[in-house]
Amino acid sequence: MVRAKSKLIEIDRKSESTTNTPQSAASVRGLSKRFGKSSVLENISFDVAEGEALVLLGASGSGKTTILRIIAGLEQPYTGKVILHGRDVTELPARERGVGVIFQSYALFPKMNVEKNIGYGLRIRKRKRREIRETVDHLLELVQLQEHRKKFPSQLSGGQQQRVAIARTLAYKPEVLLFDEPFGALDTQTRVHLRREIRALLRKVNVPAIFITHDQEEALELGDRVAVLNNGHIEQIGTPYEIYNRPATEYVATFLGAANILEGVVRGNYLEVAGSKLPAVLDREKFRDGDCVKIVFRPEDVVATKGDLLRSGAHRISSGIVDEVTFIGAYERLRVRLATSVDECKTQEEPFYLTTETPERRPSTSISITRSKPEANTLRLSTGDRITLALTSFTVLPIPRKPQSRA
Amino acid sequence: MRHVRGFDVVRPLSIGMLILMMLPLVFLPLLSIFVFGTRNGLGTFWNALVAPEAVFALKLSMATSFWATVFNVLFGLFASYVLSRYHFWGRNALIVTISLPTAIPTAVAGFALLLLWGPYGVLGRFLAPHGIQLMFTAGAIILANIFVTFPLAFGVIKPVFDTMNRSLEEASATIGATRWQTFWHVTLPSLRGAIVSGALLTFARAVGEFGSTILVSGNLAGRTQTAPLYIFAKFNEGQIEAANAIAIVLALFSFLIFSVLFFARDWLDVD
Ligand SMILES: Nc1ncnc2c1ncn2[C@@H]1O[C@H](COP(=O)(O)OP(=O)(O)OP(=O)(O)O)[C@@H](O)[C@H]1O
Ligand SMILES: [Mg+2]
Repeated sequence: MVRAKSKLIEIDRKSESTTNTPQSAASVRGLSKRFGKSSVLENISFDVAEGEALVLLGASGSGKTTILRIIAGLEQPYTGKVILHGRDVTELPARERGVGVIFQSYALFPKMNVEKNIGYGLRIRKRKRREIRETVDHLLELVQLQEHRKKFPSQLSGGQQQRVAIARTLAYKPEVLLFDEPFGALDTQTRVHLRREIRALLRKVNVPAIFITHDQEEALELGDRVAVLNNGHIEQIGTPYEIYNRPATEYVATFLGAANILEGVVRGNYLEVAGSKLPAVLDREKFRDGDCVKIVFRPEDVVATKGDLLRSGAHRISSGIVDEVTFIGAYERLRVRLATSVDECKTQEEPFYLTTETPERRPSTSISITRSKPEANTLRLSTGDRITLALTSFTVLPIPRKPQSRA
Repeated sequence: MRHVRGFDVVRPLSIGMLILMMLPLVFLPLLSIFVFGTRNGLGTFWNALVAPEAVFALKLSMATSFWATVFNVLFGLFASYVLSRYHFWGRNALIVTISLPTAIPTAVAGFALLLLWGPYGVLGRFLAPHGIQLMFTAGAIILANIFVTFPLAFGVIKPVFDTMNRSLEEASATIGATRWQTFWHVTLPSLRGAIVSGALLTFARAVGEFGSTILVSGNLAGRTQTAPLYIFAKFNEGQIEAANAIAIVLALFSFLIFSVLFFARDWLDVD
């Protein structure tokens, strides 16, 4: 994987020198940032296509705001480049970049009313009065604030302030819109409502956007693509579907909602996990026979049955005992203790040692399962029931080989 | 606390005491200016006020204070900007130095200026041969005013700068404004209240300045005599009415400024 990454960068460098990748509206290449001695960002690279919305998702302190500030020109990178529409802007000051930033606090000018705030970008560009008025009228209509045009920011609700902030940046036709936790200060209901509104608005104006959030649900809904940040580096970039269903790392898997993780061993076209064989087509470059792997699956990817009869497309992994049943609104959650314990990887050389009966002293692993109402009604389960577990979908992640295998 | 039939006796007693203490200390001195000044009728008061020397002294006070205020407000803005935006070695030392002049006795301040700019002063002696004489002119009065009111505007403006939301200026920059445009359209409007209060404070203090002015101005009637110097001079000459008329004007003037400061604070800070 590491090799693949460095290759990508090389290719981009080549194309930069020739055509400057015209298809992407905004890119960052190999960004790193240090504050004093501590490294905050390492080798961050991504592209945002024209009209696309990219979400930077990461825990607090992972460096999201720093990336945004570097793109906006409010912070200088230690290494790396920022490219907007093919133009290298790394050395340009913020005001010459034409980037629209929607700050978390909206940063509306308190002594200017809504109209003045929206027209600010054009006023300082010395545009004609008539042009300014027309643009402001148009934008007020776009964000539906016509009747609030004379109000001051302190007289507006959070959502209205945010729309003013967006209109204020749209006025000067920014190359890219940057949103720093745009819904952080709002209640859950308003958040959901506003992000749909913003999504629709962005489709209308067709400006590429980068959102920052630490809310995974928000990321999946807002983004055409999502970049998951961990501790200053990107763990994975992909569509919400890819990120959720095919996480590239354990961090991504667990950061985006609940995930079960079991260890297994590669055996040809199968994975040996919890005493069963799981058919899997694996990348031969990444996985070799006998390699230890992690098998990652979502609680909703597990099918629980009482007999040995399985639904087609589901693969048996183990049997287990229901430990706990909880109802969470539309879903039922089961905590299931696996009958076979899973630690194949500790003894790579003796494959058959692990497949048979589990000695009692081994710690048993438990996984969580969610079932929809119809499913739960078809097969009622209660604590203590013995069930068969099967997977409908899963992801295989490599476990770094132990250092001794290198020598 | 003793209550007599639900009535708190301490309250009227303490308020009465407060006023009683202030009476000889503040109220009576002020009152006597007005009583004495108008004792011989408003006609005498008016004549004393429009005497050419008196008018000149008042005008000179206003003019010198005005320029000192303009300078100190601009300087206060600049110094606040630099000292709240940049953190550098010696920053605290600079802040203390700016605040120092009010702590120095005004006579010492005037004396110091003389030693620097006077005909035999450290710098003045090089200027004197070229016919440049700074001391004993209106310019000297302005210099003295600037010195003694140096930190007043700065002291009001800097805290506002410190607490100002930086993201407003960053937003302005990303929208495309130059530093100057940002300062003019975004920073300055938020400072309006602080600037007005700082200016009023500086002006009020400068108009009343005596100790440093008397040293650097030479106290020449009709040329470098400010209003406070005029009061002092006329009093020494025994012309109590003349001194009194100007005293009334200065007292009313400071009342006015402090009423504005007191009542208009809120108004200045809102839109
Ligand atoms: N000006 C600065 N000086 C020193 N360290 C900084 C500075 N700005 C950010 N950092 C550090 O850089 C790291 C990343 O900060 P950043 O604000 O980018 O995180 P974030 O992902 O936006 O977090 P959050 O979700 O809490 O806003 C943090 O450890 C932070 O302490
Ligand atoms: Mg942040």
